[in-house]
Amino acid sequence: MSDRAWVGATVLDILSEVLNEPVGDLRAQPILAGHDWDSLASLEALAQLESQLGVTLDLRSFHAAREIDDIVGLVMNAAASSR
Amino acid sequence: MNETTLLLDALRASVSEHRTPDPGVRRALAEVTDPALVRKAGRILAGLRPDGTDLRSVRVAVLATCTVGSFVPLLRACLVGAGVLPTIDAGDYGAFDLTLASAGFASDGDPDVVCCLLEESYFLPKDWSAVDIDGIGRHVETRLADLCGLVAASVGRTSATLVVHTVPFPAELRDAVIGWRDRATLAQIWHRLNAGLLGLAAEHAQVVVVDLVGVLTDSPYPARDDRLHRYADMPYTDGALLALADQIRRVVQARMGLSRKVLALDLDNTLWGGVLGDVGPHGVQLGGLYPGNCYLYLQRTVRRLRQQGVILVLASKNDAALVEQALTDHPDVLLRPDSFSVSAVNWSPKVENLRHAAGSLNLSIQSFAFMDDSAFERGHVLSELPEVAVVAADGDPANLVRTLLSPGLFDVMELTDTDRQRPELYRSRAMRSDFSTGFSSSEGYLHGLGTEVVAEPLTSFAVVRVAQLAARTNQFNLTGVRFDESTTATMGADPEYLVASFTVSDRFGSEGIVGAAWVHRGPLAWRVLNLVLSCRVLGRGIELAIVEWLTRESRRAGVDALQGTFVPSGKNGVAAGFWNTAGFVDGSDGVFTLAVDGAPDLAPAWVTLRERNEVRQ
Repeated sequence: MSDRAWVGATVLDILSEVLNEPVGDLRAQPILAGHDWDSLASLEALAQLESQLGVTLDLRSFHAAREIDDIVGLVMNAAASSR
Repeated sequence: MNETTLLLDALRASVSEHRTPDPGVRRALAEVTDPALVRKAGRILAGLRPDGTDLRSVRVAVLATCTVGSFVPLLRACLVGAGVLPTIDAGDYGAFDLTLASAGFASDGDPDVVCCLLEESYFLPKDWSAVDIDGIGRHVETRLADLCGLVAASVGRTSATLVVHTVPFPAELRDAVIGWRDRATLAQIWHRLNAGLLGLAAEHAQVVVVDLVGVLTDSPYPARDDRLHRYADMPYTDGALLALADQIRRVVQARMGLSRKVLALDLDNTLWGGVLGDVGPHGVQLGGLYPGNCYLYLQRTVRRLRQQGVILVLASKNDAALVEQALTDHPDVLLRPDSFSVSAVNWSPKVENLRHAAGSLNLSIQSFAFMDDSAFERGHVLSELPEVAVVAADGDPANLVRTLLSPGLFDVMELTDTDRQRPELYRSRAMRSDFSTGFSSSEGYLHGLGTEVVAEPLTSFAVVRVAQLAARTNQFNLTGVRFDESTTATMGADPEYLVASFTVSDRFGSEGIVGAAWVHRGPLAWRVLNLVLSCRVLGRGIELAIVEWLTRESRRAGVDALQGTFVPSGKNGVAAGFWNTAGFVDGSDGVFTLAVDGAPDLAPAWVTLRERNEVRQ
């Protein structure tokens, strides 16, 4: 599994847990606004992503993220810049 | 599947099956220190509505001068981990003063506990001048007086326990003032604020003040994440909130009478370093430099607990006379024999001793905490008595005191005279009974351990350890003959002798070489010159497995009998009846003999006996 695929799977798992929706539903609807992506859920996701993946995300970029893949990209960038 | 997933799945199962998480799951939850994981657990537990439960219920209201963030799920997880079933109501954002003044915490009656989450902006002016430090001081003083007034109004209207906490001195305030003198004055103002908050506890019996500032000093997590503070008015990180939630858990435990009253303590490698039976009273590590100072500090800490009413029980597998001598005569011992309300020094399973102690003291086993360095003993107690709070005394002895104190097992709301006199009262009640000297642990537990004994003729790698066992082992030492390293090596290479080492492992890991036998191979009979076994593994039938192996080997060599002797030493009473127990016949010359043909297998069913290089089935 490539780094991006692994990060993608982990992000999906975390969002699935935070949003309480199956991973399949998130794959089918990757636009965050299509789910209960309110400020509380997004902060919960931020905390879980940073804790589980050991990265620090830029809050402005995080809140600008529209799709799940945008978040995967943010995590990849954060991981790359912390190396 | 990793432990995290297992824990979360177990919590989900409890929620979906409408039952309370079992004690093992609650214990695992209580031991989690990762805030993200605790928060997840707390979210899952939001749906916990068991059909009937033995857990005590508690209603908690949370008021905050800021956003509560993840405090509610963190607190919920902490409370469930402590064996409490909580209902938590978070007050409306921005309604802190009004709710506190009116004590309108819930529409359906008083909660048991009200947590007031405070942060610095409540006490500071919206804007302030860095050249008017006195002005800041006056404002902070006024706001503190406002809060004290609200608390006073509230305690008159509710029976709930109000919990407030000290507030960290924010770096952006401290460092915005560039003069060292002014900075010191500002810090003084802040310390006065926190002193005022702490003073609320003396003023109102219903108020508990948590020193969050002190707690955060020891926390590995920063108090604040500036991003979340600015974005969501969340002044504390999850790590800081978890530290506070854990303190609230301690308050709830104390308020509901769930704290422990009894501390049962092991001796060897817990209250002193080393094994008394092997090194004698003069050889134990206690006092002086590291590591002896760690054990002395633990004894001092335990003595302070006793002064505050914690009842002490001695739970040690040792010879009682030797322990009495060490506790009485050792100059550095602080916990003398009369410090203990019950003394259970014998070879019985500690589970039985704890049960017996609870009976003698007429206290529930739920009021017990048990501290021991042995994973085996702790595991046995957890398995048989899951209500007991178990404290691990293994690892670096420098951590012993923190490990004992940090869970707050013995917290009470307020110490009374009766508390202070309790250990002496209970000591009279229990009359320090010595318990039966049974010799085995509960079979169910032993079966679950997966104990393996690996027997192996002496190798060059084992010589040093085997000679060390001969030198140090006093209790299970059948003849007292201490074969030194050179003699052991010579015997090991001589076909006239068999020297064997025995390694024990179980699900907690390997104990390494813990037993050794020196045997003379006669033409008709083999004679065991000595057999020693570390006291770490006594009471598990290991010695019987060793004799079974020796029986097999002698049968394979074509001899008729296996023989042994017992020479009393004053310290090896625990092994006195061993040869008879193993089925040997006592001859008139003091030699015990077993006919090896048709001799039954001796190893208990829970022990697997293997030889080195034997393939596991």
